[in-house]
Amino acid sequence: MPGAAERGAELREQMEAFVARLRGGGGRPRSEDTARHTLALLRKIIAHGHWGSAGELMELIRAEGRRMAAAQPSETTVGNMVRRVLKVIREEYGRLRGRSEESDQQESLHKLLTSGGLNEDFNTSYPTLKANVIEAINELLIELEGTTDNIAMQALEHIHSNEVIMTIGYSRTVEAFLKEAARKRKFQVIVAECAPFCQGHEMAVRLSKENIETTVMSDAAIFAVMSRVNKVIIGTKTILANGALIAVSGTHTLALAAKHHSTPLIVCAPMFKLSPQFPNEEDSFHKFVSPQEVLPFTEGEILAKINVHCPVFDYVPPELITLFISNIGGNAPSYIYRLMSELYHPDDYEL
Amino acid sequence: MAARGAARRGAGAGPGRGPDPQEEPPPPLQAVLVADSFNRRFFPISKDRPRALLPMANVAMIDYTLEFLTATGVEETFVFCCWKSAEIKEHLQKSKWCRHTSPNTVRFVTSDLYRSLGDVLRDVDAKSLVRSDFILVTGDVVSNFNISAALEEHKLRRKMEKNVSVMTMIFKESSPGHHARCKEDDIVIAMDSATNRVLHYQRTQGLKRFRFPMNLFQNSIENVEVRHDLLDCHISICSPQVAELFTDNFDYQTRDDFVRGLLVNEEVLGNQIHMHVTTEEYGAHICNLLMYEAVCSDIIRRWVYPLTPEMNFTDDENQSYTHSKHNIYRGVDVSLGHGSVLEENVLIGQGTVVGSNCSITNSVIGQNCKIGDKVVLDGAFLWDNVQIADNVEIFHSVVCDNAEVKEEVKLKPHCVLSSQVVVGPGITLSEGTVISLHPPDEEEEDDDQFSDDSGVNKEENKVKLKGYNKKDVGSEGKGYLWKADDKNEEDEEEQRQSLWGPAVHSEEESESDSDLSMGSEEPDSRAASPQLDDIKVFQNEVLGTLQRGEEENISCDNLVLEINSLKYAYNIGLKEMMQVLSKVILEFPLQQLDANLDSQNYFSALLPLLKNWTPLFKNYIKRASDHLNALFAIEEFFLEHDSLCTSIAKVLMTFYQLEILEEDVILNWFSLRDTSDKGKQLRKNQRLQKFIQWLEEAEEESSDGDQD
Repeated sequence: MPGAAERGAELREQMEAFVARLRGGGGRPRSEDTARHTLALLRKIIAHGHWGSAGELMELIRAEGRRMAAAQPSETTVGNMVRRVLKVIREEYGRLRGRSEESDQQESLHKLLTSGGLNEDFNTSYPTLKANVIEAINELLIELEGTTDNIAMQALEHIHSNEVIMTIGYSRTVEAFLKEAARKRKFQVIVAECAPFCQGHEMAVRLSKENIETTVMSDAAIFAVMSRVNKVIIGTKTILANGALIAVSGTHTLALAAKHHSTPLIVCAPMFKLSPQFPNEEDSFHKFVSPQEVLPFTEGEILAKINVHCPVFDYVPPELITLFISNIGGNAPSYIYRLMSELYHPDDYEL
Repeated sequence: MAARGAARRGAGAGPGRGPDPQEEPPPPLQAVLVADSFNRRFFPISKDRPRALLPMANVAMIDYTLEFLTATGVEETFVFCCWKSAEIKEHLQKSKWCRHTSPNTVRFVTSDLYRSLGDVLRDVDAKSLVRSDFILVTGDVVSNFNISAALEEHKLRRKMEKNVSVMTMIFKESSPGHHARCKEDDIVIAMDSATNRVLHYQRTQGLKRFRFPMNLFQNSIENVEVRHDLLDCHISICSPQVAELFTDNFDYQTRDDFVRGLLVNEEVLGNQIHMHVTTEEYGAHICNLLMYEAVCSDIIRRWVYPLTPEMNFTDDENQSYTHSKHNIYRGVDVSLGHGSVLEENVLIGQGTVVGSNCSITNSVIGQNCKIGDKVVLDGAFLWDNVQIADNVEIFHSVVCDNAEVKEEVKLKPHCVLSSQVVVGPGITLSEGTVISLHPPDEEEEDDDQFSDDSGVNKEENKVKLKGYNKKDVGSEGKGYLWKADDKNEEDEEEQRQSLWGPAVHSEEESESDSDLSMGSEEPDSRAASPQLDDIKVFQNEVLGTLQRGEEENISCDNLVLEINSLKYAYNIGLKEMMQVLSKVILEFPLQQLDANLDSQNYFSALLPLLKNWTPLFKNYIKRASDHLNALFAIEEFFLEHDSLCTSIAKVLMTFYQLEILEEDVILNWFSLRDTSDKGKQLRKNQRLQKFIQWLEEAEEESSDGDQD
């Protein structure tokens, strides 16, 4: 079958390109795009890969997923999407085996304790499995499309007239959220510029184009201005299993200032950013980039004598966060663990 | 033409692995990677391993270069190897670059006949490997530069101006004194700030004063920028013309030759060089161990992001690292003993075992190394499988593969232990010690012909080591000391410089350095003010020609031919020519013998010369004005040399007798009124007056005779 071989080669090439792009870390890819790319690639693997049973398929997805996730540990979305797909395969397989969805979803405490030999075997092959899984992944893709809108729709519940909102850096989700609110209400936004990359500038420009009263300020002014702020609304890169954030650096400062002034801190994040990892591995998904932005290479002699670091992300502990707004509604950080178990199968937490 | 032929022959003799251009669709971007440095800077390390494969933060240099090329969108790379080409090939075939999924197709061209970059590019032209603009890099470039903007500029320029611009060089902005700025590579550049055109390019090593050609500032260019804050990344975007130009000019060996040649002949050939300056991205070229150290530490400090160790861009399972605070990178299965501290900027490869109570900082440790207890490593670069025993201290040194350092050994800064060397126990290696398993005088047997002067000092330094010298390498040591530490201070200096670069002792200039700077200075000074200097240079050339003629007894006809060709080469008018010739010949005895001749000796020395070279004068002195010019030159000479004044009459007499000068003209010259005071004084010279009188009488006589 030359056609299949060709497709296989093409798929490999796409995989490599994707991994290389993740590794390169160039630009600031949107998490949503990364998620969509991952799903599309996984769909291709399912469609063209060699597998007989669900077990083999899961093994295949896991192996490829590990590779993709390892390429850029800070892009947790990749791993999350792989877990979602694994979960989809489990569900579809279970449905084909005739297990009712009800019992699978609602595992009672009793069941959790008694189900010692729950490790089902995935060796039976069903010809319809492939089509079903692909169908389910397509649904997942459609769900991805709508996440930002779903989050933005909740804006009016949280932003009221004449409020002062503070945000930091640039997040598309937050941008959509604020713009949606601005269609009905008048409020003021203060954007912390988020040095050294100053994504805040772009955010401010985009907001002011929508006639939102916007102020840019330096990160150093966060604490001073916080007393005037009614709400802090931010985006994030990742939500960890304990409800903590991996967000753009500067967020921790902001969160601490908000806590000090008892200002509510709202995090807008779609569900695919929810990652079943715990912060004890925090080193591994940290990302340090070239110190160029902090202290330019042109500085000269001094660079040989000092160490300059340029971290991209901050860890924000869950106790500083008031509310998560995701595409399925608002949740407190303490509820994250429950969402996690709905999204992913516990066996897939470790890829 | 000769060069073309030579290049063809070279190509024919090589394995000729060039791909058939018809076979595949034209690829958008190609690169030529020269995996050879054509010098011996890294000897003795590069005796065991080609320079392109030396590990930088545990990854071979060439992998960085290839990653840079791939990331920047190159789809086909030609790797040219010469020295140890088989090893390079083997390495690359195992790497991800030769997997079929690689977006960058790597092709090898190996030949033992390459002696320089020039040879490689001539071969590129001969085999017509490149079809459009290509990127030229050497195998030791580390960069995260994205070439696309520069490439776009380059293409636009070529489109706008009908292929006038042949090359775009990439520079990185970095102020002087930066640790990644190699002193050897320091340059001063004059550029047109509007178009980024390179107007003047000069290496500054060892120069205290820089000269710029005047016409640089006289041209119509509005803003000329003179910059010294640039680091040459050794990355250039070349048009296919570059390869052709190398073929046409078979004396171009390096890119420097090319740039200089192009700039000097810019008006003639009409080719231009442009530049692109980057501030954000990183780019460096590892030309000596000092740079090796600097770039390694830049990689560890993440300046080259995303080419950092934990990214594992080579996709090698053995090369996965985790990155933690203070730039500590740890591979898989690294074990760290109780009480050992990794302070900062440390990279430890897979499977390495570190004993207890060690202190490691600013170091790179390869795979499967064994490090004992209480070891202090600061700025140490240990490659794979190195064994370090207890209580060892290593500062700013390189220890290559499989080397062993025994107990209580201390390595002072800038030591090099090349592969499989054993030192110790209980010795201290003084600063700059280089130890290799290859005896230093093995050199002559080697048939590798990289012309470098490092071979020269090796010969002087013939310490016939039959066995290993226990004093140098310790009682259980294995290896030869590559140079003496104390007895031959100068040699040591030179050796260290060739390995570590001149920055270690920047004041001192080794031979090679001064050679280099002279080479770069000469053409510049010539270009500085052509009108004035040409005559001077021409005069020297004529003098040289005559000297040769005198020594080798070359016939006057041939001399005339040579002088004529010189005259055309320097575009000298007949008048200047006459003056120069007379002056040179009159000065000749002074040059030959000694400057303080008295007039008697001077004349006796001059006489045979004049007789010999009579045809020369006759060839040039034909019209009356020529005679007069010659006379003026003679007068000028004698005015300059007061002590010889007395012999002027004799000289003129000789000229007259040899029928070079005619009496009318001499009389005419003598009677000229509008001369300076000194000239008048000269004419009052008694002997001269006698001579003139005699001439007048003779004339009268002859005219009388005519009348008879």
